[in-house]
Amino acid sequence: MNKQELLRLSWENLWRMKFRTILTIIGVVIGTASIIVMVSIGNGAQKSITDELSGAGSVTTIQVYKDIGSTGMTMMAGGKKEDEKILNDDALKDLKRIDGVVAVTPVVNLSGATVDYDREQYGVSLMGVDYNVMEDMRYNTTSGKKPGANDHNSVILGKEVLSSYTLSSTGAQAQENTVAPEDLIGQNISLVISKTNANGDEETRTEKVKVTGVLESTGGSEDYSIIADYKLVTDLNQWQTGTKVNVKKQGYSEALVTVEDSSVVNTVTAQIEDFGFTVFSMQQILESMGSVFQMLQILLGGIGGVALLVACIGIVNTMTMSIYERTKEIGIMKVIGASISDIRNMFIAESTMIGLIGGIVGIIISFILSILINLIAGLFITTGNVTISYITPGLVVFALLFSAIVGLLSGVRPAIKAANLSSLDAIRSE
Amino acid sequence: MVALLGPSGSGKSTFLNVLGGLVPPTSGEVIIKDYRISDMTENELCLFRREHLGFIFQSYNLISTMNAIENVALALTFAGVKKEIRLKRAKEALEIVGLVDRMEHKPSELSGGQQQRVSIARALVNHPEIILADEPTGNLDSKTSSDIMEMITKLNREEKQTFVIVTHDPEAAKYCTKVIHMRDGLIERWEDQR
Repeated sequence: MNKQELLRLSWENLWRMKFRTILTIIGVVIGTASIIVMVSIGNGAQKSITDELSGAGSVTTIQVYKDIGSTGMTMMAGGKKEDEKILNDDALKDLKRIDGVVAVTPVVNLSGATVDYDREQYGVSLMGVDYNVMEDMRYNTTSGKKPGANDHNSVILGKEVLSSYTLSSTGAQAQENTVAPEDLIGQNISLVISKTNANGDEETRTEKVKVTGVLESTGGSEDYSIIADYKLVTDLNQWQTGTKVNVKKQGYSEALVTVEDSSVVNTVTAQIEDFGFTVFSMQQILESMGSVFQMLQILLGGIGGVALLVACIGIVNTMTMSIYERTKEIGIMKVIGASISDIRNMFIAESTMIGLIGGIVGIIISFILSILINLIAGLFITTGNVTISYITPGLVVFALLFSAIVGLLSGVRPAIKAANLSSLDAIRSE
Repeated sequence: MVALLGPSGSGKSTFLNVLGGLVPPTSGEVIIKDYRISDMTENELCLFRREHLGFIFQSYNLISTMNAIENVALALTFAGVKKEIRLKRAKEALEIVGLVDRMEHKPSELSGGQQQRVSIARALVNHPEIILADEPTGNLDSKTSSDIMEMITKLNREEKQTFVIVTHDPEAAKYCTKVIHMRDGLIERWEDQR
């Protein structure tokens, strides 16, 4: 008996008991849909967070620090380790030579600065980077442009820079801010840094800087920082702390390495670690979070899997019932020349069809549910583009295969039972 | 054309089922055309029946959800015959039994005699050498019975088809060339009616 005939015959048999078949299929639909929706919620959570974190620049950027591990050890030992690797200019040159690295810049951070603008004060952090490599770094501006190598008094603003108030000169408490970072492009703003001097008096220093652009959201600390030239921030830092950092001896506290592609992040990371530095990249976080989300998905999928297990029992039940009803027919078919495998395959094909149809309908229903979930979630969560439920193509393929396999496996036992019926007994039964 | 004649319980149906490989013999062996069917596995028996045997039952045993031509063609489906050829041969078989005009009817829409003719067509359709018939006229009135027996006789003569017919009706046995009388599981006597 050829396959096409077998499928046609099974298909026709399937619809002889429409109501029962549909009920069984509904079981599979519920099972498949619950797996997909459950896993899609896990996916959605992962996607929301990874999208948030993996802004354009951040996945290709690696943060390099002095080896934290060895510093800790030397501190405990109470002395300085001889071979401690210093993050100085020579080290940065070494980093630049690694394959796949496009830019290396030292980073200096300064927190506790404020921006005076339009009688309001906004608390900000400053992040100083080397403007000579600014062009090669994956810092894209959404509006305005990046400062050039010599624009030492130009800055770009992080996306969220003005969203935090410190003080308001008008005395008002934190309120909806009306100034968007974009409004400041092309304008001069005042950066105010304050310190307490040796006499306990407060001193302030004001720097006029020009805003050239607004940084695309990276999901990292840059969003809340003003990016300025390394020299300017270092200068302000020295003024604030009153100590001069000897770069050659002590090195930079942090450097940023930009690589050409996210695919080389891991190899570059490994090489930098070989130099003896501590490395931190968004990729590492994403990877470690990936395993957490995988656990979450397995858990959620498992809950959905229970529903599919129940559906599987339903299929076995339907097929067994069907065989009891069709015992005589099975006998007739065997007498007129159906082989054991014909009978077996016919029933297996039927149960696989139940699984497959259930899977397909289940997928369609999960897409509808997924859209509904996101719509409803959108009503409550207004910040950003939130996806609660996200169905990946892989999940669709998996669900389809899984439901078909569940159907197939559920059919095996009843089918073997049918195939092994004695033809004479079967034909005599009514 | 052989009739197995005897009262109920004389073992004639059992004998036919053993011949058809539907039940294995408790002892001895069954040889049909050099095939030792008593040693065959279930699967080999299925293939053997498909090739060499046709069956006709007292209760017709048609599949109720299929119409006449589908019932006849089903036997060919299992043999892997293509759809066009299958339908053509099924139609030919229905022509032989004179039911072409009823071929779209379901068994429930046919009379007993017509259903039995469909089942004869089904037995004929893969041109088996031997057709085993278990009480083919058992459920039919005497007029229809003689129609069916005449048809079988005609097939036997024209299509050179061997029939082994189990019956307890001496009227039906009259059509056969040989009659084997059975009683209590044993062959009582042979009778040649030619």
